[in-house]
Amino acid sequence: MNDNILVIDNLTVDFEGFKALNQLNFSMKSGELRVIIGPNGAGKTTFLDVITGKVQPTEGSVTFNGKNLRNISEHDIARLGIGRKFQTPRIYVNLTVRENLDLAVNTNKNFVSILFRKSSSPEKRTVSGLLETIGLIAKADLQSEYLSHGEKQRLEIGMLVAQSPDLLLVDEPVAGLTDEETENVGNLLMNLAESHSIIVIEHDMEFVRQIARNVTVLHQGSVLCEGTMDVVQNDPRVIEVYLGEAPSMSEEQINIIRIAASMAWADNNFAPEQLEVILSNLSREFSDSLMHQMDLQQELKNYLAKNIPLEELVPQLKNIEQREKVLRLSYEIIRSNEINEQEIVVYQRLLELLDLPTELIKEVETEIEAKYDKRINN
Amino acid sequence: MNDIIPDSASRFAQSKKQKQKFLIEIATVIGLLIIFAVIMPLVLPEFRLRLLGRFLSLTIVALGIDLIWGYTGLLSLGHGIFFALGGYCLAMYLNLQIPEGTLPEFFTLYGVKELPLVWQPFYSLPVTIILLTFIPALVAGFLGYLIFRNRIKGVYFSILTQAALLVFFNFFNGQQKLINGTNGLKTDTEKIFGLLVSDPKVQLNFYLLTVLFVFLTYVLCRWLTSGRFGRLLIAIRDDENRVRFTGYNPTWFKVLVFAISGAIAGIAGAFYTVQTGIITPSVMQVGFSIEMVIWVAVGGRGTLVGAIIGTLLVRLAQTFLSEKFPEVWLFFQGALFLIVVTVLPAGIIGGIRQLMINIENRQKVVTYPAIDINPEIQAEKEELEHE
Repeated sequence: MNDNILVIDNLTVDFEGFKALNQLNFSMKSGELRVIIGPNGAGKTTFLDVITGKVQPTEGSVTFNGKNLRNISEHDIARLGIGRKFQTPRIYVNLTVRENLDLAVNTNKNFVSILFRKSSSPEKRTVSGLLETIGLIAKADLQSEYLSHGEKQRLEIGMLVAQSPDLLLVDEPVAGLTDEETENVGNLLMNLAESHSIIVIEHDMEFVRQIARNVTVLHQGSVLCEGTMDVVQNDPRVIEVYLGEAPSMSEEQINIIRIAASMAWADNNFAPEQLEVILSNLSREFSDSLMHQMDLQQELKNYLAKNIPLEELVPQLKNIEQREKVLRLSYEIIRSNEINEQEIVVYQRLLELLDLPTELIKEVETEIEAKYDKRINN
Repeated sequence: MNDIIPDSASRFAQSKKQKQKFLIEIATVIGLLIIFAVIMPLVLPEFRLRLLGRFLSLTIVALGIDLIWGYTGLLSLGHGIFFALGGYCLAMYLNLQIPEGTLPEFFTLYGVKELPLVWQPFYSLPVTIILLTFIPALVAGFLGYLIFRNRIKGVYFSILTQAALLVFFNFFNGQQKLINGTNGLKTDTEKIFGLLVSDPKVQLNFYLLTVLFVFLTYVLCRWLTSGRFGRLLIAIRDDENRVRFTGYNPTWFKVLVFAISGAIAGIAGAFYTVQTGIITPSVMQVGFSIEMVIWVAVGGRGTLVGAIIGTLLVRLAQTFLSEKFPEVWLFFQGALFLIVVTVLPAGIIGGIRQLMINIENRQKVVTYPAIDINPEIQAEKEELEHE
């Protein structure tokens, strides 16, 4: 039990009758990177509030490094070694980047030291090192008000690290970031995970896939399911609560999407062109209204994060039209960027499973080839 | 290694620039000290000098307000309390400079035979000086602790301070037998070191002491706001929760800075009282405490020097206008506030600083602005030049 950095036992938080957390049990090992997902209102933020002392539990206990955190105030919990990053970047906008980090790196947080002690040179070195880690050296003496959203997120993570905590709690670090910034933040977290225990709360499933090793799903204040990303995503309860209780697509349609996704993942590289093909083809096919198509694209993206063996999926196709549709889509997916060997292998396997007449396959293939040739000629 | 170079280089440039700024500041402060301490007493007639002394003692309380409002984001509308406490402390000492065995005159009006207990410590000047600083500080600290411990912030804090002000105002008004109620305590007719307080020589000394204390308060506030402590105050203003989750307890820092501000107001009240000649509970009227905030707003909050300039400007304009245009001067005052709020929301000093930045940038930027001021691009450029 000693290597568990955080143990939460039978935790209940009752907001005047509404149970934000309900008999939640959770534990994580030292050095682990854990992602917590869950639909809105599942209690994710309350979960962090309880750990950091912002909310006192009604029942149960939070134990950090063997110490019960009940009745310890926020700043004392922070000093024990728990750092928290908020959803929106919370930094001191009227201070420079360096001053922001300097306040966090200061180890002696009482009056006297703040009044009379200047930053020591090890502290200055730590700040310089951190500036490098978060990639803000060039903007070190700029007032942090003028940083971009992504830079502010990185600065706040830097401030957390400056506190040298044992456990980092990170609440939706990539909300509202561009793809490039998301990747930066992801890499930063992965680097930090080598020397810290981290809990990340996240909505963005692609980002979760990028960083996650272990995922915990919260639902209605309790742990619904725990395990690796693949285990969690295939859990029917998770699909039901996380992806909405009633998907706007039928079973068959979801099945087709999954096959398409498996094709796209065939070479372990989900290229943007492939995503584009799937999204535009399917959303058009499933719905006529433009608004609904946009919604669908979002929903489709969620399903696409999964990789389920074809052997399970293909037998579920009901009729020959569906099979043909799958064939058409799959060929277009692999054709949309250069076809490589892995893709051919998977494609052959698909053909075997589909068991369609050879003429039909030939016909479809030539049709799509023609479409792409025409595009090139144009 | 390569990455460390631009960081230390920029730090070096920064510190050089700061040193230069600091030297200019010291020169300005010394210059002002000479003007106020040497030239003004020679130039101004006695009555005007006493008036200037009163204004300067008000700049001290303005500095205290800038410390908590401009830096820490606590808008106190109750500084009249601490101001009055300081004033009353000194007035009580002066009222006790009478032959032994006798009581201050007003006591006989109410038939009080024995000196009340609270008056006892004020026989001694050192004790009085300590108390006129510490009583306001303790009251502010206690009030602050109750408010900040319960995490009351923003406008609720302001309302509570104003409510406290009203409580003190009514309490002081009602205590005839203790401190002469509404009539207050006179100081002009009292003696200090055997001399009448209203004696020009005594008044000149009070004036010079006021100048000295404006300077000392400025230095104290400057020191408090320049280092880590000052940055922490700004951090508390910007995001108190972040401060808390970084491991600082903002409550105690706020209590401390509020108490310091209270002590400063007490000192200001003492100097104001002896140069006015009387202290009454009217200094705890709501309007006066709000006016203190306005001085800081006019000068520019979070600048310290702005608090001093704002106070002097508003008060001098008030005197000048009320003498020349007694009927309409209040309109001028209203207009001044409107102009400051609408045209210079950052106050006079804030406005000037913004203007300087604009001028500086206009000279520099000849190409696309983002390239010239983007430090990342500049750092890359420097690196390329090194190679």
